[in-house]
Amino acid sequence: MPEKTDFYRRLNIGTGASEEAIKKAYRLAVKKAHPDINKNEGATQLFLDIQEAYQVLSNPSQKDNYDSGRDPGGSTPNILTHIEYSQNALVELDESQVIYALVDILATEETQDKSNLPMNISLVVDNSTSMAGARLDMLKVAIKEIIQDLGEDDKVSLISFNDFAKVLLPSQSQPPIRQIESSVNDFFAEGGTEIYQGLETAYNEITKSMTRNYVNHIILITDGHTYGDEDSCLSLARMAAEEDIGISGMGIGIEWNDAFVDQLCALTGGQSQFVQDPKTIKDFLGQIITSLKQSDTRRVTLDMLPAPEVKVLSAFRVLPEALPLPLQDTYSLGILKKDTPHRILFEFLIDPIPGKLDRAIIASGEFTLKRTGKDLTIPFTLERKLVSDPEQLEPPIPEVIRAISHLAFYRLQEKAQHDVAVGNPGAAYQRLMNLSSHLMAKGEDALAKIAMNEAQYIKSHNNFSPTGKKELKYGTIHLMLPEKT
Amino acid sequence: MITCKVCGNQEFHGVLFCGECGSQLAFAPDQKVDTLVYPNQIRGLNVDISNTIPKKLLEERDFILYYAESEEALDLPVQNEFSIGRLVEGQVIAPDVDLNKYEAYHLGVSRLHATIRIDPQQNKVFVIDQGSANGTFVNGYEIPANSEVPLNHGDVLTLGKFSLKVILPSEL
Repeated sequence: MPEKTDFYRRLNIGTGASEEAIKKAYRLAVKKAHPDINKNEGATQLFLDIQEAYQVLSNPSQKDNYDSGRDPGGSTPNILTHIEYSQNALVELDESQVIYALVDILATEETQDKSNLPMNISLVVDNSTSMAGARLDMLKVAIKEIIQDLGEDDKVSLISFNDFAKVLLPSQSQPPIRQIESSVNDFFAEGGTEIYQGLETAYNEITKSMTRNYVNHIILITDGHTYGDEDSCLSLARMAAEEDIGISGMGIGIEWNDAFVDQLCALTGGQSQFVQDPKTIKDFLGQIITSLKQSDTRRVTLDMLPAPEVKVLSAFRVLPEALPLPLQDTYSLGILKKDTPHRILFEFLIDPIPGKLDRAIIASGEFTLKRTGKDLTIPFTLERKLVSDPEQLEPPIPEVIRAISHLAFYRLQEKAQHDVAVGNPGAAYQRLMNLSSHLMAKGEDALAKIAMNEAQYIKSHNNFSPTGKKELKYGTIHLMLPEKT
Repeated sequence: MITCKVCGNQEFHGVLFCGECGSQLAFAPDQKVDTLVYPNQIRGLNVDISNTIPKKLLEERDFILYYAESEEALDLPVQNEFSIGRLVEGQVIAPDVDLNKYEAYHLGVSRLHATIRIDPQQNKVFVIDQGSANGTFVNGYEIPANSEVPLNHGDVLTLGKFSLKVILPSEL
């Protein structure tokens, strides 16, 4: 047991320091002690000491224990974090190297709130001309059922948009059936697709009845490209993320802008779905709602601060729903489900490492959980020991290889899209053939077949087939999900 | 940097999968050649070889190319690297294996079509297309010129339109 003032001394503050002061002192201390800046002997140990002190002092229950002289205990009993790397060590190299880390956070049984948090959702439905027919009909049925199934505390609003937005059902709990019917019947397909109009209206409806105890979520349903307002949509998404509002997207058919909707959802920790057959609209919508219902903690964010010699090359959310994440300092991961972890695959590029170091810090990170009660921060450090010989490296656990291989598949189809876009269908053909054979080797026969058909199509048409591009993209994304048993 | 053995692409140390062709670069399982595995429907040429290949050949050789049309194994030199093609009068560099007797010209085999390299230590066999006019295919997929592509037991190697079955006696 360390001396009582020890942890405070490590951060260079007094024992009465406030939470905010502790955080500030930690940031300052870490900057000074970071082994990449502080080249003095023992800097790494100093850095780790500071980390240890902050991990305890930043956690209210551990801090209490520590202050009263008890063992602070491990990490927060409720929440587990876990990190797996692609290698057991980094190599002393005079050239750059890459390492991957799978970062997990999981809410364990006893931390869960007794009852589910109520939802505050807004359904934003594209009713541009192209939605006419089966799409809108199936959607009407699905929405009616979804709204009727909501609990008595849940709030819901319904918004339609084309060139402008219209509130069909203002935010409320358990709207009368007749009102649901009439609002759904107000859907009339006409005009273009201006997503920002719809999103902004939904955002206003949500914030109207927003309290801290709700799971706030916008569900966007569209089948078209939005024109010219993508940037405003993305800044609205960033603002929504700040205020604990998630956005999920459902793209129907093949015309919608998947890259844009993915980004919109990734920014807020939502999910993005590709619906090929209007009949499955209901299932997908139900799936989104079900996952919202299971939320324990409203929102998790992850800060990732790479060391000065390290660059984050990519971030990919593996769980609960796979989606590439735009690179940011703070990642909004959305709600934390009761039984599934959040898992992010990070890819780091590390500058040449001179010899003589024992360990290298890759990045420092921090999960923040916005809970019904108090926010909770869980800091962690990504670091690896150094070896001089690559032969000393040990392979990672299969789960890591699996995640990275799926990332590789996702990138192959991305590159094939790029090949076609720059007028090199031959390269796209070869790439999809490779993808097909790798998928076959992993036993993903159905997707392998899609990739192969797509390759053949490209060979004769010099372009992707109408459905193939999205089928392949979302097919490779969905590989990331845990193996079906 | 590390080099992908399948397509020659360069990647940073620590990268696990080639960004160009998707092959696994490190920590690949050893027992099986980790390479292009092809859809079953075009594997084809499922022939019973027990009667047509001399047992002695199966015992002595690491690598056999079997020509199903005439039900015979090609006469391959006992060396770890050899070229395959078709000999034309006046040709400066003759291929180690001449396919003229199989109507190679009509089947689109180039004079120096491909090279086979056997790695007895690792028990692996590779084919390298030497920039042939009509291409080299593994299980119906065209392989890039001048790069090593591993061959597995049961693969179909096609030079132009001349198809051969790859047999690795150690796998039988």
